[in-house]
Amino acid sequence: MQTKRQKNIYGFFRIFAVLFCVCTCMLLSSCQKKLAENKVFGVDDLSGSVIGVQLGTTGDILVSDYEEDGSDTTIERFNKGNDAIQALKQGKIDAVIIDAQPANAFIQANPELMILEEEFVKEDYAISIAKGNTELTASINKALSSLKADGTIDSIINNYIGENAGKSPYTSPSGVNRSNGNLIMATNAYFKPYEYYENGKIVGIDVDIATAIADYLGMNLKIEDMEFDSIITAVSSGKADIGVAGMTVTADRLKNIDFSDPYTTSSQVIVVRNNEAVQSGSNFVEKFTNDFITDNRYQYILTGLKNTLIIAFFAAIMGIVIGFLVAVIRSSHDKTGNMKILNAICSVYLTIIRGTPAMVQLLIIYYIIFGSMNVNKILVAVLSFGINSGAYVAEIFRSGIMSIDNGQFEAARSLGLTYNQTMISVILPQAFKNVLPALANEFIVLLKETSISGYIGLTDLTRGGDIIRSITYDAMLPLIGVALIYLILVMILSTLVKKLERRLRSNERN
Amino acid sequence: MSETNNMSDILLEVKGLRKVYDKHVVLDNINTTVHKGEVIAIIGPSGCGKSTFLRSLNMLEIPTAGQVLFHGTDITDKSVNINEIREKIGMVFQHFNLFPNMTIRDNICLAPVKLKLMSREDAVKKADELLARVGLKDKADTYPAMLSGGQKQRVAIARAMAMNPEIMLFDEPTSALDPEMVGEVLTIIKELADSGMTMLIVTHEMGFAKEVASRCMFFSDGMITEENEPKAFFENPQSPRLKEFLSKVL
Ligand SMILES: Nc1ncnc2c1ncn2[C@@H]1O[C@H](COP(=O)(O)OP(=O)(O)O)[C@@H](O)[C@H]1O
Ligand SMILES: [Mg+2]
Repeated sequence: MQTKRQKNIYGFFRIFAVLFCVCTCMLLSSCQKKLAENKVFGVDDLSGSVIGVQLGTTGDILVSDYEEDGSDTTIERFNKGNDAIQALKQGKIDAVIIDAQPANAFIQANPELMILEEEFVKEDYAISIAKGNTELTASINKALSSLKADGTIDSIINNYIGENAGKSPYTSPSGVNRSNGNLIMATNAYFKPYEYYENGKIVGIDVDIATAIADYLGMNLKIEDMEFDSIITAVSSGKADIGVAGMTVTADRLKNIDFSDPYTTSSQVIVVRNNEAVQSGSNFVEKFTNDFITDNRYQYILTGLKNTLIIAFFAAIMGIVIGFLVAVIRSSHDKTGNMKILNAICSVYLTIIRGTPAMVQLLIIYYIIFGSMNVNKILVAVLSFGINSGAYVAEIFRSGIMSIDNGQFEAARSLGLTYNQTMISVILPQAFKNVLPALANEFIVLLKETSISGYIGLTDLTRGGDIIRSITYDAMLPLIGVALIYLILVMILSTLVKKLERRLRSNERN
Repeated sequence: MSETNNMSDILLEVKGLRKVYDKHVVLDNINTTVHKGEVIAIIGPSGCGKSTFLRSLNMLEIPTAGQVLFHGTDITDKSVNINEIREKIGMVFQHFNLFPNMTIRDNICLAPVKLKLMSREDAVKKADELLARVGLKDKADTYPAMLSGGQKQRVAIARAMAMNPEIMLFDEPTSALDPEMVGEVLTIIKELADSGMTMLIVTHEMGFAKEVASRCMFFSDGMITEENEPKAFFENPQSPRLKEFLSKVL
């Protein structure tokens, strides 16, 4: 037994250790590192170097040819352009191939980078639509040609790019009749100036063009943010009507999807490190203000935290319910041989859920099971994590039930209690107490596992930090902040469980 | 067996009872009758099937063949509500099997209250009475972990008694106890016997069997090899197996 004093010292030590780590990270974040030497000065230098692209973008498709040219070219594929840019700054890769406009935005925020004058390739952007949906394709083409003719498209683009940026914002004409239903747009809002987060909303050229199209068609635009390489799946499965995300028409994509006429032209450029640039590092306070205070960016974290807590809480409840039922069915079957079919179903459930990654389960539930349904993402996440957790909870409960001496069961039955009464009054209360630590551990794992929710475009805590990262190009503070919040949540959870355990144990004093 | 017993006194009848695990025959054609008020001591080497026999009487073990008649009802029949029968057959185990998550009082009240045989208040009153009877009135609010082995077994007896059983089955009630605690438990059982309770007691306490039992049964090789009133059973054993057994334990 520890004395109270020892426990206090231990607790202080832990908090001190956490604070120490945080301070170290802050120091690291504010000190300046030397920029690695640039090796790429033109398209010819690409072969043999490490090239970063955004997964599934045109840049990815075009640059893939380099992989097979026998010159040791390595392609690193990132989920977000921003991640590629950060890797470039840190010297992990030599160049990033990306669309010209986002590249410009990146350069402005990262003066230590530059765009090579030699363009990689020029390309057209178009809207993707499910194969065979010729009606929608035709309507959108009609809308596009009308919007091009009356100068709307040019005015939208000029509002984001060039000298007159911000001077011609698009506004919907008044009195639009939106009786033609919803137009769901899939996008990846990490692609400034085409689509990105500003003040908690997704904005950009593509968003305005899609709004204009919806206005023209008398429809109501809804935006779904997701990973770039999920957009085509979402559109072809019917989860979204159109994909608008600076997408280029390529032969591969045409196999799965149709495209509208192009609405603008962009070029793919090469971004590299600029060793001549004077580095102006901002200090910790500036970074902190920029990451969390400016434009109320902490709201991304708050929204994410709220969603993470909602998902974890309801998934935990669902996990307990499922796990409890499965455990009772399984152990009754073991004891009495009844419920053969239910037991078989439970075995299959346990095998599948414990044999596949939670992330794959989440994607399957979102893209396949709820494929063509427009369903609340938080609900999908709760279902997915609840079903997943249920399998682990079931085995925890079952081992708890099995750990109770058979004599307990026999004593209760010999008094005339039924099987169910015995389970409820005698076996389960003891089993629950025995498994409490394992159960708490499972919920801590569950809480942390919800961090993959971002893969279905849900703003959970992790993704909230990611959005800030994509706006401010600072990796350190948003990530450390998010990590710290998870850490605090877990510490609170374990403290509560310890209290509960102590209370249950003090009852029996054994 | 006493000659004065008549048919209406029969509480329990065992006919052709057989129990086989895989190919191992544990009980082979057991036949016996238990009359109201009898105290039967079951004696025999370990592993010969005494526990299995006792547990077959309330269907904790399902017999492979044969019948167990309780008040003339065959309780091996699947259509019989075995839970109702078990209320009338108390059982005390070698390892007490108290519920560690409940107070002593709740251990005793659980079944009468859950089975709606008594109100909670009546059950508590009854529990306190029984605890007084086994000398543990002051332990009502403590938990099993705080009791000695002898005290636990006395609580287990009180727990079984709370159901007002017609018969009590004891499976080696003192075998798991330190020697100094055996006496207190045997005293309680003897008091029960004196009050007229029908009992089957598996025991290795020969002195106790001789003093308390109205009939002794010797089990060996899954059969009742010899059966007699205590004096003749111990002083004049007939079968070589019993003679050998008694010569070892006495
Ligand atoms: N569940 C079981 N499965 C297989 N064999 C068993 C089981 N329970 C008891 N036995 C066997 O049955 C025999 C009789 O056991 P038991 O009735 O406990 O003997 P006793 O109480 O006389 O010592 C032993 O040989 C034991 O190994
Ligand atoms: Mg035994």
